[in-house]
Amino acid sequence: MTTVTVKSIINGNSYQFVDNGEPKSGTAKNVYFSPDRKYVVALFKDKQDFNQKERLKNIVTKYLPQIQNKEAGNYYLEEIYRWPTDIIEYKDKTGIVVPIYNGKFFFKKGYSSNDLIKGEEKNGKWFAGSKFRNKQFPLSLDQSELGKWLNYFQVCVNLSRGVKKMHQMGLSHSDLSYNNVLVDPTTGSACMIDLDGLVVPGLYPAEVIGTADFIAPEVLATKHLKKNDPNRKLPNRLTDLHALACLIYMYLLHRHPLKGGKVHDLDTEKDDLLSMGEKALFIEHPTDKSNRIKLNQLSKWELYWSDITKLPYTITGPYLKELFNKAFIEGLHNPMQRPTAEEWEIGLLKTTDLIQPCHNANCEQKWYVFDNSNSPKCPFCGTPHKGTLPVLDLYYQFKPSVWKPENHRLMVYHNQYLFQWHVNRNIARNEKLTPEQKIPVGYFTFHNNKWVLVNQKLNFLKDLTEDKLIGINQMVELTHGKRLLLSNEDGGRVVNITMANK
Amino acid sequence: MRRLPVYLLLDTSGGMFGEPIQALNNALSGLISTLRTDPMALDTVWVSIITFNRIAEELIPLTEIGSFQLPEITCPQSGPRHTGRALQLLYDNATRDIIKGNENQKGDWKPLLFLFTKGAPNDKVDFVNAIPLIKSINFGAIVSCAAGYLKDEDLLKQLSENVVHLDSADTHTIKQFFKWVSDTIEQGNKSQGTGESVPLPPPPAEITLVI
Repeated sequence: MTTVTVKSIINGNSYQFVDNGEPKSGTAKNVYFSPDRKYVVALFKDKQDFNQKERLKNIVTKYLPQIQNKEAGNYYLEEIYRWPTDIIEYKDKTGIVVPIYNGKFFFKKGYSSNDLIKGEEKNGKWFAGSKFRNKQFPLSLDQSELGKWLNYFQVCVNLSRGVKKMHQMGLSHSDLSYNNVLVDPTTGSACMIDLDGLVVPGLYPAEVIGTADFIAPEVLATKHLKKNDPNRKLPNRLTDLHALACLIYMYLLHRHPLKGGKVHDLDTEKDDLLSMGEKALFIEHPTDKSNRIKLNQLSKWELYWSDITKLPYTITGPYLKELFNKAFIEGLHNPMQRPTAEEWEIGLLKTTDLIQPCHNANCEQKWYVFDNSNSPKCPFCGTPHKGTLPVLDLYYQFKPSVWKPENHRLMVYHNQYLFQWHVNRNIARNEKLTPEQKIPVGYFTFHNNKWVLVNQKLNFLKDLTEDKLIGINQMVELTHGKRLLLSNEDGGRVVNITMANK
Repeated sequence: MRRLPVYLLLDTSGGMFGEPIQALNNALSGLISTLRTDPMALDTVWVSIITFNRIAEELIPLTEIGSFQLPEITCPQSGPRHTGRALQLLYDNATRDIIKGNENQKGDWKPLLFLFTKGAPNDKVDFVNAIPLIKSINFGAIVSCAAGYLKDEDLLKQLSENVVHLDSADTHTIKQFFKWVSDTIEQGNKSQGTGESVPLPPPPAEITLVI
């Protein structure tokens, strides 16, 4: 065991790493820890050519400060990315310095039956498939590792933001997969790793076509062509969007959107290439049902989540249904149609406003999305909703005295909070929110058999139906047909209340 | 869904008695543990173990990694090595086990075969006769590992393009070989290059690879 000191090729800063002869070895790099375990030094196994080094230099000297100096820089660098911070050289090998992963991305317990993976990294694959969630599977994950359904929305929001930010900077990831994303469902966190292969179109081309399950259909369909063939499709921003949609679908539904029962060729390799490439077809396509999953050919551990009649993708709610349609029906073979990362972020966040707690204390998912029906029930355990359910539709002022719907609905549940981003359309619910904006402005509660909104911070909350101002620390009852003005400032919204499940 | 069947053919003839069989057990349990901590492998890999000395035996039928229970592998103090019989048994088992694609069902991935042997087959005629049967199964890769001998390697080369030669059958080299086996099994889930073909991972440094 020796401690090695290396120097930055950019500014001469020095770093140390411990060489115990057995580094953590990935596909392209060997990873060594610093003595204080605050960062790692990852040495490339292959000699990096001029272009590759230029790419790394840009990642460290150009794109890193771009993130640091913009809004929410801390959020991105602490939470979402493990972004390389420096480049070193050691014995004619190139290496990068990367901050260490946050402790939450290592299993505290791992499998429920033994300690085999305790302390290992939480590769996204553990949480994408359904096998490890099945308690009967001998190597299932402990319940304490799995999180609840709502946590996976947060995971997907973080992931979408990570992709959004890269695309805003003109970069594409090019190899987005569960191998390159660490996930912690218990806190709803996602962290993108191995960011040294970023693609800048025209400047730094893709070196990989991606990882099986996430390679876009057009990339697979043209894989046989030479790299310089004009028809050859290589990873870019739009193929990232395919991978992102697949990841979101898998984290919410624990099955792959394209892996159905349709056979295209008797040869396994050819069949796989066609079914993920040229002939790819959404397993839940509403009219072409030829690629439905054949449950009798499935691993018994995967049956629960693979039954699309019991858990269709529409359980993710109306906004995500639209986005999945765009990603896997309209945009599957038409990349320009794919939803952007920001659309996913907004759709996911709006969906969390539709989410309801399940009344069954033993429900494994605990949350479900309101299905716009008059008699809602949890799709996971079948428990019907008890009692009335206030539905708040948001409206914005189009011009004086004309209010238009936002296509944004807020479902109320006991002890739910109201936030600034519901009150005012000029406040976007994203990573740029200030701490002040994250404080609730009111809350909903079921009190003495009535649904009420308690005003905590709204300066101008008005019951329009009864023409009455509701002061701070006062409450207003929610009744069918009632309208409330949440703010008289520019961008202030009106809500219209409907009572469901009466 | 698609499985990746992996067949391990392990020499348990008299020549393995002593340190080699201990080293093999050790390396094998390392291999299974590695696969049991890999979510991709747990999703697709099914393993069968066939051992051979005078007789060939299906020690473990094709079993998914998640349910795999590894027994202690033992060998007699002396006795011949009937590699040909093992190949014959492998052929029977593989034709029985592997799901072939048809119009209504997706087939398994091409199976992988790893043959670990400490010496030349003692049943050369059976061995040679079994080779076309094995080829007919269309394995994705066949890797033979010859530990501690160089003689008669031609025979192994008729079976597989890849013959890995270990200088000795001690714990360290066998472990290195099985590390390479797990890398090969896990290969399919890594990022794919923009080039045309996916190569086998490079073998560990101490091993001579005969191709």
